[in-house]
Amino acid sequence: MTEREHSTLLGERSPAIIAADGGSATALPPSVRRPRGEGWRTRLEIALLAGPALLVFLGFVIFPVVMAGYYGFFRWQGYGPPTDFVGFNNYLLIVQDPAFQEALWHNIVIVVLSLVLQAPVAILLALLLNRRMRGQSVIRVLLFVPYVISEVVVGTGWSLMLQTNGALNDLLEKLGLGALAQDWLANPEIAIWTLMGILVWKYVGFAVIIILAGLQGIPEELTEAAQIDGASYWQIQRRITLPLLGPTLRIWAFLSIIGALQLFDLVYIIWGQYIASTAGTSTMATYMVANGRNAGNYGYGNAVAVVIFLISLTVALVYQRFVLRRDTDGALTGGTRR
Amino acid sequence: MNAAGKLIAGTAVLVAGAMALGGCTGGGDSGDGTVAMTLWHNSTTGPGQVFWEDTVADFEAANPGVTIEIQAIQNEDLDGKLQTALNAGDAPDIFMQRGGGKMAAMVAAGQLKDLTGKLSETATTEIPAGSFSANSLNGQLWAMPIAVLPGGLFYSQDLFDQAGITENPTTFAELDDAVTALKGIGVAPVAVGAKDAWPAAFWYYFSALRECSPEVLASTAEDLVFSDDCWLRAAEDVADFAATQPFNEGFLTTPAQQGAASSAGLLANHQAAMELMGAWNPGVIASLTPDQQPLADLAWFPFPEIAGGDGEPGSILAGVDGFSCSVDAPDACVDFLNYLAEADVQKAYYAAFNAPVVNTVAQEVITEPYLKQILEAYNAAPFVSPWLDTVYGQNVGNALNVAVVDLLAGKIDPAGLVEAVNAAAQKG
Repeated sequence: MTEREHSTLLGERSPAIIAADGGSATALPPSVRRPRGEGWRTRLEIALLAGPALLVFLGFVIFPVVMAGYYGFFRWQGYGPPTDFVGFNNYLLIVQDPAFQEALWHNIVIVVLSLVLQAPVAILLALLLNRRMRGQSVIRVLLFVPYVISEVVVGTGWSLMLQTNGALNDLLEKLGLGALAQDWLANPEIAIWTLMGILVWKYVGFAVIIILAGLQGIPEELTEAAQIDGASYWQIQRRITLPLLGPTLRIWAFLSIIGALQLFDLVYIIWGQYIASTAGTSTMATYMVANGRNAGNYGYGNAVAVVIFLISLTVALVYQRFVLRRDTDGALTGGTRR
Repeated sequence: MNAAGKLIAGTAVLVAGAMALGGCTGGGDSGDGTVAMTLWHNSTTGPGQVFWEDTVADFEAANPGVTIEIQAIQNEDLDGKLQTALNAGDAPDIFMQRGGGKMAAMVAAGQLKDLTGKLSETATTEIPAGSFSANSLNGQLWAMPIAVLPGGLFYSQDLFDQAGITENPTTFAELDDAVTALKGIGVAPVAVGAKDAWPAAFWYYFSALRECSPEVLASTAEDLVFSDDCWLRAAEDVADFAATQPFNEGFLTTPAQQGAASSAGLLANHQAAMELMGAWNPGVIASLTPDQQPLADLAWFPFPEIAGGDGEPGSILAGVDGFSCSVDAPDACVDFLNYLAEADVQKAYYAAFNAPVVNTVAQEVITEPYLKQILEAYNAAPFVSPWLDTVYGQNVGNALNVAVVDLLAGKIDPAGLVEAVNAAAQKG
């Protein structure tokens, strides 16, 4: 399609559609921006500058996705090229496998609990840290430390402390609370809460930083005006700060949801290759590795990867469409179109 | 240097670099009589690593013009890397072979060199024919066996003495008594590294070996349908034994071989009395004792018999560690495998790994009573099977291992185990 055709097409679209894909600027006739004769040069420039990135994107994102879709139709052990075409049989097995259903359920639980547990804590901490006080920056850094530490270190550290004869149970016993000592990692009724505790500890700092950034964007005049009108601190937070934090919170929730859907590393480090499903902490990603790579079923594993991709894509698109749309509209089109 | 000169120089560097890259991906005869090969093994530490360095140096000295580049790869990473390298067409020339379903897949993909009829006289006369069976397929030989690693119960003689156990258990009833006695002296009766799944699954493999006839084991390997009643009975045996709570506390998150808190480490530090393991265990335990020396009171007895089972009493499970040549490897690869089979090299292997080697001449230098007992049991066994996860391939084997952990954790019942294994056969 040439640019001329493209702009004509856009011109025929309804304004709402232009707003939805976020760019009426592309509808400008190209000749306005580019003097005649320099077209090839600009194109070369674009090709040179965008080319490498485009190649990397195609080679390392799009191509693997397409290949995963292809391999997912085969029963394939990974030795030699795949030959045993099985159609949608792998997908049928995935949907019917109770272990996958469990893993999906764990993912849903992690998504919901991450939002429910982290949001209030993060908002309160951010409000606290947004006030002038001694040691403010030190506390900010400390809160952010768990997020910076690598997953492998976090996983190894916590799994050592949470063993039945580990530091936590020792501490409880020394405090005279030996009755509270648990098998934190292996008891299926507790393990998922242990995982949630570690996840909150690790990622709440990230939420706090994002929310703090959002708080900086709220004009002080609003707070001052409310104070003059006699609003209390909590009234100001509830009526002014929280609503204006909306876009920030929605973006954070989006990142949190996607992260929770794809959770792999912490579970794999703490529970290892085999026992995550026994302990009740398996996720779709650990299921994929266990039933794809460890079991040597590369065809099946690729099919699982496609399922995870589709689930994440659907969630992302639905979220964009129904939750983030107002925010991105405002950001990209100046909020003039509705 | 002018622009053209720079261009030519640059091109030359690129070409040289490309040739160097090509050179390190796979060995071969370079035409001038020199041969370069690569070797992948899984001994990343200690005497095992030194053994490979020394052996390769000796071989290179005896074969001028031959060089072997050694790469030691962590055991859990080896299979994945090997598979990638084999599929990418730049496989190592010589690599560790675990046999079973994985070897069958490599053979089917045409990735292994056929060793049939290429063995030296030493190898064929000093290694018993039975030791080659694990590495043979369709009447052809695909790997040189190096060590034979039968399984059984390793235990601490001191702890058994303390608990007043005078006779080694030969039945499950006697094993239960031993468990009760050992609980009395405050140690974990049995260590099991269920985090790695396969050590827990050994309990099921051996129960199945006792409950199932060799014919059933063989026919199941072909159709991968676990329908015979013996599979369920074996699961019930394991569940009954687990119900006596014989295992170390927190066994689900206990690894097999890493650190003092691993199952081997518990044995090495006298915190657990027994462990069901393969014959590589003495070496692992030795590396985990406080002074890093072999455990002085280590002893061994065979897996107890189960009354009423279809298996032949005295049968044993044993892995065979071997080495294969990739299909395009130079002939010097076969020479190297033959060199590995020689008695002196095999003696050095035994010294480094503290494991029973396949060469009968080299076996004569074995002094540890437990290794002698293991070889005795192995030689007397009416039926020897490889580990079941090897026999039934990676897919079913993996599901079997995980299902046994679920069974020990009480997540599924014995019928659920058989169901899970049958379901896994659909995926691969």
